[in-house]
Amino acid sequence: MKCEDLEQLSSLYVYDELPPGERRDFEGHLAGCDACRRNLAHAQRLDRFLRQCPEPEVTPDLLARCRASLDDALDREQLGWRAMLRGWLWSFGPLPVTRAAAVLTLVVFGFGLGWTLRPRVDSLEPTTANRNASAFNAADLNNLRIRSITQVAPGPQSGGVRITLDAERRVTLEGSMDDPRIRRILVDTMKGYENPGIRRDTLDILRMRTHDPSVREALMYALHDGNVGVRLEALKTVQTMECGVDTHEGLIKVMESDPNAGIRTAAIDALVQHLEEEGTDETVLEALERLANHDQNPHVRMRSLAALRKLRGME
Amino acid sequence: MDGTCLELASKAVIPDPAEGEVERSLIRRAQRGERAAFDTLVRRYDQEVLRMALRIVQSPEEVQDLYQEVFLKVYRSLGRFRLEARFSTWLYRVVMNVCLDHLRRQKARHEMQMPEIEESQPDLLHKLPDDRPVLNPERALEAQEIGSRLQLAMARLSPRERLVFELKHCQGMKLRDIGEMCGTSEEAAKNSLFRALQKLRTDLQDLV
Repeated sequence: MKCEDLEQLSSLYVYDELPPGERRDFEGHLAGCDACRRNLAHAQRLDRFLRQCPEPEVTPDLLARCRASLDDALDREQLGWRAMLRGWLWSFGPLPVTRAAAVLTLVVFGFGLGWTLRPRVDSLEPTTANRNASAFNAADLNNLRIRSITQVAPGPQSGGVRITLDAERRVTLEGSMDDPRIRRILVDTMKGYENPGIRRDTLDILRMRTHDPSVREALMYALHDGNVGVRLEALKTVQTMECGVDTHEGLIKVMESDPNAGIRTAAIDALVQHLEEEGTDETVLEALERLANHDQNPHVRMRSLAALRKLRGME
Repeated sequence: MDGTCLELASKAVIPDPAEGEVERSLIRRAQRGERAAFDTLVRRYDQEVLRMALRIVQSPEEVQDLYQEVFLKVYRSLGRFRLEARFSTWLYRVVMNVCLDHLRRQKARHEMQMPEIEESQPDLLHKLPDDRPVLNPERALEAQEIGSRLQLAMARLSPRERLVFELKHCQGMKLRDIGEMCGTSEEAAKNSLFRALQKLRTDLQDLV
């Protein structure tokens, strides 16, 4: 072994990447070579130094932001065409590539066959109401969002055409928050609509009706929304609500389990504010103790301690 | 860091059979479309994924996009994952490919610049945990300087060198497996590692 060849071997030796024979030869050479022993010592120092260097820190805020944006992206993914195809394919279980390709070929073939064997127009039974286009005004047509067109064919009258399509129509509802139907739409939006911006706007409206049981339930649900901005707005609203067992339980749950440290801190403040007005609650104090002792975030621990001091000072 | 890298390496060598079965069950449920199972799987690994990406890309803003890209790829291709394989290895391969693509795009846009030395280094060492037993300002400053010097040194590595170094030094993978993961040979991975160590040795010689 020549010394100039051994410089690379030192690094491989440090990482335990040398095969046994080469390792023995290397160690044998080291026994009689000062220069290579010094080189090895330097490689080992570099390795130790690099292992002592600080790890990049994953802050709770970065983690919360990443998880929240992934949640939103996965929500969109689940509503997309990929989800439909994936759901259908995965219903067969994990498929080997060749079987999946065979299934896809059959699907494409089936579509192709169906396209060439389109049924005659007059044998079709329309599943949706037939509308004469003159029944739609310009605004209606502008608000019509076509999802798919299933047929284009000559119409029954000479020079006419029949278009069968699936469409959504934009509708604008106006009403009062006194109307339970309006409230129901808003509550359903809060619980299930995919756009977090719309959910947040809905929260602003629902704020006006927190004494309504269904609205209250939706607001408590929003404390666990997938979007951190929606959760924060929900927290601010709950803070202004009339206290109850549900609000304390909801806030405690947020305080203990929200992935965002800022939200957990805001939940602590909200509970302190409630208790300053309503009097102490042992459940809350116990939860604050647990947080002060075990939360992984130092700011949350400090805030919990400060809250405990304040609340115990009131007793 | 010493403990972290060695812990990861030791975990990779001696898997807990019960833990493995729990994970396989999660993967099966996620493959059937159960979102909660997929979310649990993500949370098992996402902090380590973020740390890996931060070591390679060194920017929290870019890392957020890469995080989403990694887990969306995993979500879309989980149906093809075979349960006999190790999920962590498969996941880290996705992370590496996403980071490598990102670094190559950056290089193509001539955005690979030497990061400036700042007084505070939010990317690598922006916060010392308050619960450390010794909060020594002098040591904090020293750690800060080491962090910024290391960041500079890592920025000098090519994308391939940075990845191979990350996989070898921090993840404890064998060079043969690294070569396979990067779509190259063990010999090429070895050369990349050696070049990376040479550059790091040159840049950090006064600190070592």
